[in-house]
Parts: sequence; C-alpha cells; structure tokens
Amino acid sequence: MVRFKNRYVLCEVVSEDPRCRQCIEDRALGLAVRDAIARVHGDYGLACCSISFTVKYLNAYTGTVLLRCRKDSYRLLCSALPFVRYLESRAQRYPCFLNTLHVGGTIRTCQKFLIQYNRTQLLRLLQNCTNEEERQCIQKSLLSCSLTEEQSQSGDEEEDDDTE
Amino acid sequence: QNILTVCFSVGYSAVALNHVIDFKDKKQEIIKPVSPSELFPSLPIVQGTSKRIKVLTRLTLVVSDPSHCNLLRSTSANIRLYDIIAVFPKTEKLFHIACTTLDVDLVCINVTEKLPFYFRRPPVNMAIDRGIYFELLYTPAIKDSTMRRYTISNAISLMQICKGKNIVISSAAERPLELRGPYDVANLGLLFGLSEGEAKAAVSTNCRATVLHGETRKSACGIVYTVKKPRKVEEEETAVPACKKAKTQA
Repeated sequence: MVRFKNRYVLCEVVSEDPRCRQCIEDRALGLAVRDAIARVHGDYGLACCSISFTVKYLNAYTGTVLLRCRKDSYRLLCSALPFVRYLESRAQRYPCFLNTLHVGGTIRTCQKFLIQYNRTQLLRLLQNCTNEEERQCIQKSLLSCSLTEEQSQSGDEEEDDDTE
Repeated sequence: QNILTVCFSVGYSAVALNHVIDFKDKKQEIIKPVSPSELFPSLPIVQGTSKRIKVLTRLTLVVSDPSHCNLLRSTSANIRLYDIIAVFPKTEKLFHIACTTLDVDLVCINVTEKLPFYFRRPPVNMAIDRGIYFELLYTPAIKDSTMRRYTISNAISLMQICKGKNIVISSAAERPLELRGPYDVANLGLLFGLSEGEAKAAVSTNCRATVLHGETRKSACGIVYTVKKPRKVEEEETAVPACKKAKTQA
C-alpha cells in the first residue's frame, strides 16, 4: 500500500518563566524548531524536515506539543530538538527547552502515551498537595482519564494546581 | 539547587555534582564534597518508579603536568569521599597515562577547542579493557556555534577509534535551562556518530557502570565493601555466638 508514513514527536516545553507557557503559539514554536534545524543541519536538513512539518497539537496549560514530520527525516528533527533555546513571540524572548517524551507513528499512540504521562504527573502533584479540596479534584480527574475523554479536562486540573 | 529540581522533573534517576580542580593555581586543596542532604531535606522520588533519586559527588582534575597526578595516589581522606573521579588530560602523554595507569573512572574529552593531540588506538583500547569511560559534554554545543563544531569533530574522531564503546555523555549545565532530558541527550549521541543503541547506552547503562566502577575503587577490588555501622556492632556480636551454638548443636 502506498502511503506517506509520518512520525509524531511528543514534546514538553519546560521553562522557568511562568508567563512563557501562556504565550506558546504554534507559529512561534514551528519557527523556533525550524531555526534550530537550520542551525544544526543546514539548508539540506531544513528542506528535508519541512516536507510535511506541522505543529499538530498544542496545549498551553501543560506545555505539550505534538510535531509531525516524515518518517525519513524524523532523526534529523529529533537530533535538532535539544538545540531549541528560546521561543520568540510578540517581540519577547522566553528561554526554554523542549523535552522529548515520545515518538509515535500515529496520533492515537501519542495520545495514549500522553494520557498515561498526565496520569503520572497528576499522581506526583497529588503528593505535593496540601489542600483537601485539591486532593479530591485530582483524584476525580485521575479516575476519569480515558481515551474517549477530552484531554483538556486533565489539563485544566493541572493548571488549577499550578496557579495555587 | 534549581538545576537539581529540573533534573528530577525531567526524568533522571541519579545525578552527580561536579567539583573541578585546576592545577594552574598554586595552592589548591581538595575540599570535602557537599553532602547531598544539605541541599535537599528529603530527596524527591523518581518519576515512574518508587525509588529515591541518588545524588552523587564527583571530582574532576584538570591536569597539564605529570606531577599533578601524584595527588591521586596520596591518601588524602577527602578524595575517598567522592563517588566518581574524573581526569581531564591536556597533553597526549597525560592521556596515555590516564588511560593506562591512573586510578580514575572517567577521562574527559575536551570539547571547547581543537584537540592538540590525536587519539591513538593502544591507550584507548587499554582504557576500554580497564573499564574507564570517556566523557563528552553537550552544554557548550547548545550554547555556542563554534564550540558545536569542535564538539562534533572531537566526538567523531573519538568514535572512529573506540567504535562507540565506553562513552558517557554528560552536561556541564550551570543554569537549569541548559539541561536536556535523557531522550534528547540520546538523540544528541546520534549526532556524535553513535548508533541508536549505543547512544541510549551512553546515557543509561554506561553511566551506571561508571558509578559501579567508582564504588569498586572505594572498596578493595570490589570484593569487600565495608560500611560503618557503629550501633549495630553490639547486636552482631551477640548474634554470632548464637549462630555458633546453632552450628555445634546441629
């Protein structure tokens, strides 16, 4: 069967500045990643990787990013991701780095991994919880994590704890 | 301390804090390492497993003269307190000595400038036999473009001689944003010329082997491991005669 095979790279944006997460945009992130590929692999690398390169999913609350690229060039993309140093949006530079979580062949596998990962993150937050209400909130959202549910639910719960 | 919290959140299970000693200054004393319990009241738990994170201490000696190596043979108590000892040779002769006779765990490879010497096969093979690992840093590569070129050229020339064995990739991060996750560091290993399995090993199994090598250096050839347990000595003494009685009765 002739089909274009893609690789979906799941990353997390980690930064010290709490404002950085709210200002993540797909265009800014795409530009930053392309810039890093150009610096590391040059024109050839940039051209190879940008055949089918898009930012498929972006969650500003948790800083989760899903990138898509061709299967032939995903190694170039993955080896250039550590070189992303900052995100630039609206004339402001936010220093950050991307932490690769998972590389999958379909969006569905990445989604499954993301749900498991969010579950472990919520468990970690549960340990650091001091408020009884928060505790119950997190436990409820943990029990309701599943593939058919929307992920924004678990993202919202995590955001409540971050702002606390 | 911020760096350590970021490390743990990203997914590392053991971290070694480095203390560099340069012999250009005339008076250098080896300071006692900072105990990890001073930094954290309680060590956080690794993501995904239920074990605590290990924080180890490490000493790096920057040597440019053979007489500096005498420090390693001295029985100064402070050296024994470090878990891992690394040496950073600046000349070819010192590289040879470090690989063949010095009692270290890691040999650091310079990444910030063009190497003044070429690697030769005999000392590298002897180091691999002895269980010494070569270390590459990746933080200069992230910061600066010319350093990136030197890093890649030095790393690839090392790979061509050692065929990718015994490599450890580590960061010399001074700020929490210069750190990268373990999956990303393994991908950096691909850039350095390692195969994918070797790159993952460079982050995980080789590092663990280095820590074990450091532990065997502390104990006597890795066979006897003595731990001070002042309170339990009395219990052991009372336990021993009981065993002897049991043996005589049986």
